[in-house]
Amino acid sequence: MLRGITAEVRPGEFLSILGPSGCGKTTLLRIVGGLSEPTAGTVRIGGRSSAEAQRHKLVGYVFQEPSLLPWRSVLDNVRLPLLVNRAARRPGAPAPAELLHLVRLAEFAGYYPGQLSRGMQQRVALARALALDPELLLMDEPFASLDEITREQMRFELLRIWDAARKTVLFVTHSIADAVLLSDRVAVLSARPGRLRALLPIELERPRVAGVERSPEFTGAYRRVHDLVMAEAA
Amino acid sequence: MRTAATRPLARPTAALLPTVLSLALVAAVWEAWIALAGTPVYLLPAPSAVALRVGAEPGYFLGQGAITLAEALGGFLLGTGVALAAATLMAHSLALERALLPLAVLVKVTPIVAVAPLFVIWFGFGVLPKVLIAALITFFPALVNGVTGLRAVDPGALDFLRSVSASRREVFLTLRVPSAMPYLFAAFRVSIPLSVIGAVVGEWFSADRGLGAVIIVAHANLDTPTLFGAIFTLAVMGIGLSLAVSALERRILFWHESTLIV
Repeated sequence: MLRGITAEVRPGEFLSILGPSGCGKTTLLRIVGGLSEPTAGTVRIGGRSSAEAQRHKLVGYVFQEPSLLPWRSVLDNVRLPLLVNRAARRPGAPAPAELLHLVRLAEFAGYYPGQLSRGMQQRVALARALALDPELLLMDEPFASLDEITREQMRFELLRIWDAARKTVLFVTHSIADAVLLSDRVAVLSARPGRLRALLPIELERPRVAGVERSPEFTGAYRRVHDLVMAEAA
Repeated sequence: MRTAATRPLARPTAALLPTVLSLALVAAVWEAWIALAGTPVYLLPAPSAVALRVGAEPGYFLGQGAITLAEALGGFLLGTGVALAAATLMAHSLALERALLPLAVLVKVTPIVAVAPLFVIWFGFGVLPKVLIAALITFFPALVNGVTGLRAVDPGALDFLRSVSASRREVFLTLRVPSAMPYLFAAFRVSIPLSVIGAVVGEWFSADRGLGAVIIVAHANLDTPTLFGAIFTLAVMGIGLSLAVSALERRILFWHESTLIV
């Protein structure tokens, strides 16, 4: 399904993986995260294999669905990774309450997921992914199940959190606007088999704040990525 | 626990009113029918006659009921406990499921009244055969729903736990067991009344105590007021047990959709 993908993600970088549906973006992310086994090839995260990185809690995962546990409160959901495999807990990891503060949900700590909106649930999932203070944050279309308005707010929310938490991010999406607005670089994949077609740097100044999507720099970058993706999809 | 996600019921007294009215109406029509048609008491006693019989000796019905209740609950706990242990094994291994499920189905399709006399031969006239019959009848719903529930986990939540290297044991305790709870309570709502049936059937075959025995003796004597008193006590017991399960369910499954509509 995937073929010939060689790329290096730099520490602290925000790299998006953009491609048409079914090109293997999610599979690629699952292999990096150690959830799926590649048939060939290797992944190194800070010199370790995916499985080792997983055991050392170097990787935080945010999925398309929030997938919170509905019987645990918001705070207990963020705490969950700390209860699992205690031996590998990293010293200096931020407290769950601090993470809730970071995603602006501090006052919802005692609520249950069913009482929150979709966007809020996804922010809890983000806080949960950060609970182990991972080096690498893997995000698999985290905004895909959100409505357009929430989605737009979440982009800037994620930028703010990324700026504060300083993580390397691998962000899978099929939204060109997501990729351009958020990323340092965009990896464009082709459809079946998924091949790496281009690695485009996005030279938009940071911090990127609301309104940037109307600037000519954004429009220019958007068009370049758009043309490349469309040429691949054709 | 009350959260904003659970809808508070209307005032309990107001909610009970339709039930009380319909029961009162049935009793009134029944009473009037007996008085007008002159039905002999050995065929069908009036509600007032049953009430007088129970009122004359409430301790008798309570005491016999307590015996049946203890057998039913003991059987329920035993049957459910064995079923949950088996469900845990079966949920982890398809081979074990294939090996054990046909046996469980065999137990389920065999009419309980057919094996009850056998249990008396094997286990005598005491409490044990009644508990075992009640256990047998409550075993299957908990087993099947337990296996389904332990497997019916949110795949995203499972992926997340795996992404933080959760062990099988941690996945089982933090995800599978809570996910199974709605399924288990669906089973308990069925199996709790079944446990009373199991205990009564057991008493029919070999008891000098318990409401099943009261029914057999009253029947032999054409003592229908006592017979109805025993039936009435069993009905109250069944309602009480079902309400207890519902109350526990609302408490434990406060997070689940099913508790919003009760």
